[in-house]
Amino acid sequence: MEDKIYAYSTSPHVKTPRTTKKIMLLVCLSLLPTTITGIAFFGLKALLILLLSCASAVLSEMIFNLIAKKDITLILKEFDFSSLVTGILLGLALGVNYPWYAPVIGSAFAIIVVKMLFGGTGKNLVNPAVTGRIFIFMSFQAAVTAWIIPNGDLTTSATMLEDFLGGNLPTLSNVDLLLGRNVAGCIGETCKVALIAGGLFLAATGVINICYPALYIGVAGLFSVVLYGFDFAYFLPSILSGGLMFGAIFMVTDYTTTPNTATGNVIYFVFLGLLTAGLRKATGMESVSFAILLGNLIVPLIDKFVINRPFGHSRTRKEKAAKNA
Amino acid sequence: MKNDYKKIAFDGAIKNNPTLKLVLGTCPTLALTTAAMNGIYMGLAVTFVLICSNVLVSLLRKAIPKEVRIPAFVLIIATFVTIVRLILDYFLPDLNDIMGLYLPLIVVNCIILARAESFASKNGILPSALDGLANGVGFMIALTLMGAFREVLGRGEIFGFKVWNFTLDFFGTSAGAFFTYALFIALFSLIYGAIADRKKDKAFSPVLKEPNGEAE
Repeated sequence: MEDKIYAYSTSPHVKTPRTTKKIMLLVCLSLLPTTITGIAFFGLKALLILLLSCASAVLSEMIFNLIAKKDITLILKEFDFSSLVTGILLGLALGVNYPWYAPVIGSAFAIIVVKMLFGGTGKNLVNPAVTGRIFIFMSFQAAVTAWIIPNGDLTTSATMLEDFLGGNLPTLSNVDLLLGRNVAGCIGETCKVALIAGGLFLAATGVINICYPALYIGVAGLFSVVLYGFDFAYFLPSILSGGLMFGAIFMVTDYTTTPNTATGNVIYFVFLGLLTAGLRKATGMESVSFAILLGNLIVPLIDKFVINRPFGHSRTRKEKAAKNA
Repeated sequence: MKNDYKKIAFDGAIKNNPTLKLVLGTCPTLALTTAAMNGIYMGLAVTFVLICSNVLVSLLRKAIPKEVRIPAFVLIIATFVTIVRLILDYFLPDLNDIMGLYLPLIVVNCIILARAESFASKNGILPSALDGLANGVGFMIALTLMGAFREVLGRGEIFGFKVWNFTLDFFGTSAGAFFTYALFIALFSLIYGAIADRKKDKAFSPVLKEPNGEAE
């Protein structure tokens, strides 16, 4: 350790100022409009839930590191905001009628079980925020059935999406859905304008490729149209309601849980779109998070079978003949 | 000889715990761990069948031809499972309802067949009986622990007594069963690994105490 003359590492040897920390900060920034509109719509309870889930996520990461006997200065130096992103995403994916300890437990579960036990940032098998949300969803079933409409007096109702999956066309106009006016749902998923703004910001800074979320949303919408008997009146409501846009822009685009190749990505996002629309139709409830969890699990499989052809490599005649036969 | 018995008991119940170490008999483990009491009932039933079948297999081990040993074992096991079922059905019908399908499924429980095949068919009567008891107790301990964990978190109760009002429904669902099982296997692997490491440390010379091996 004392004579450290050469720093050696594996390729690529390109240096870039873009680090995990900076990317995560950009993601946090892009979530800002959604957070603000969420708090504006749902009030102080939304702020409380967000603060609790963020604090729990960051603290549980630090506590895990302390238990794993990492040095405290190293922990602070290596803190890369990814747990903060998980915390915000999880908080935004919850409704305001959850008890206060739900985001705390969900964030701790997401960080410790889903992320840290698998080796920390970049090594998790599935998206922590999505898994945390499903954990909370399954744990507080009483809170899930009632959603709050943010219009002066807070009344509870089934979400727009649940209504519409039953076969009724929505009572709210598409503009209302886009702006999130009087829409019941999770804190972060109602105002689509803020979500799209965040997505465009991420695309402009090069953090995500906007084509993939667009592909996911498009396929999900079109498949809903097919499932409801080619009625194109269903296209816009199905992509504008529920958590589809939120999940597509912020949750599936997580680097760790997307395939490595362009072909793999196309397969992955088309699969997710079909799965989301199919599950929505089959279960009659919002199933974006379940679709994402299932999709995450097949990512290693896609990466195993979709491999980029090395430059200059061509298949030998024997293999070709074997394939044709 | 006494040491041998000690080893059999320790191996069966703890070192090669059928549920947590060998991952056998997963079906009742996943389905019945919703409450701690279920673990004890199921553990008792399995222990009874294990001891009886081990003894009988051990008795008949020279009479059973090698080619048909598995059908013979299954026949022996099925006999005892039927006995348990009939007894429970008559004396404790409520319990019979709780265990439902999982009671007849003991016939194909891997633990029992594995012990018959790998231990009882090669050993004497007394060691076989002890082996059956040890494995049954190991199974019972694992199921009760997992049942208690899921009951406390899923229903806020332990052995049917109220602990708190706080519940996480997730642990009552089948997804929670898989999760709990994985969690327990991970936890026990950690404990077994730590014990093995400590033994290794003791076995080696006291000079190389540093775990990083940075000594000159």
